Amino acid sequence: MTHQLAGHCHCGAVRVILETQKAAADLPLRACQCSFCRTRGALTTSDPDGHLFVEAAPGSVNRYQFSLRITDFLLCAECGTYVAAISEIEGVTMGVVNVLGSSLAGFDGRAPDPMIYDDETPDQRLTRRQGRWMKAQVVEVQPSI
Amino acid sequence: MSESPFTWHAGGCHCGGVRFEIALGDVVEAQSCNCSMCAKTGFVHIIVPESRFRITKGAEGLSEYTFNTRVAKHLFCSECGIKGFYRPRSNPDGWSVNARCLDSTEALDLRIEAFDGQNWEAHAADLAHLSKEPA
Repeated sequence: MTHQLAGHCHCGAVRVILETQKAAADLPLRACQCSFCRTRGALTTSDPDGHLFVEAAPGSVNRYQFSLRITDFLLCAECGTYVAAISEIEGVTMGVVNVLGSSLAGFDGRAPDPMIYDDETPDQRLTRRQGRWMKAQVVEVQPSI
Repeated sequence: MSESPFTWHAGGCHCGGVRFEIALGDVVEAQSCNCSMCAKTGFVHIIVPESRFRITKGAEGLSEYTFNTRVAKHLFCSECGIKGFYRPRSNPDGWSVNARCLDSTEALDLRIEAFDGQNWEAHAADLAHLSKEPA
């Protein structure tokens, strides 16, 4: 059965949909300990066999990069919410979703796994993401009236 | 004249574009709120009066977001999206600083308590004293 886990930023301008065969309870919940994620207490999830869609009107998403500059952190331009991160890996866009920022249901009360990736080389980072993250697509949509 | 019981601590957003300072005592009362906004940003509140907070860099790089009553002024860095501080609805005469955005909290005895922001009206008055200037 295909589940569609849907959420959005605070103002609703950026929507995320995670298509997965798994229930939310069977998906991982990770607390990355990098400087960016800690300032937001971000908790992320992904399903390597799933698909992430990020839907927003043109101009509604700001992209932020730092350090290795191989990741786009997707932020709502209106309310600042961090909803998802994407990375281009061998021509494929892979992504991970911030469960807190997008308020995905089904993860409440779970203790996240703290993750420390500081010692990774850029290649190691991309290889890990290739195995753990999911195909992702940023879709431009027109705002509903 | 007695010495100030407060020490200035620096903090900022992630990209370094916005910097601030907050004057804190050794023991710091902080709130972790479960409202729709704070849950998304992971905001840990340290609420202080106007005189104990100052923006030291990048005020022009802040974006403002408001919703519902539009009393709270949610401010975030327009580059990295980080919300290091804002004007809270509970304390519009002061500031709420995000403990997660301080450069270091090692010297602080940070006591984080849960705040039930999902039932904001019933609890907000409990926070009002935090932004009052000393008489």
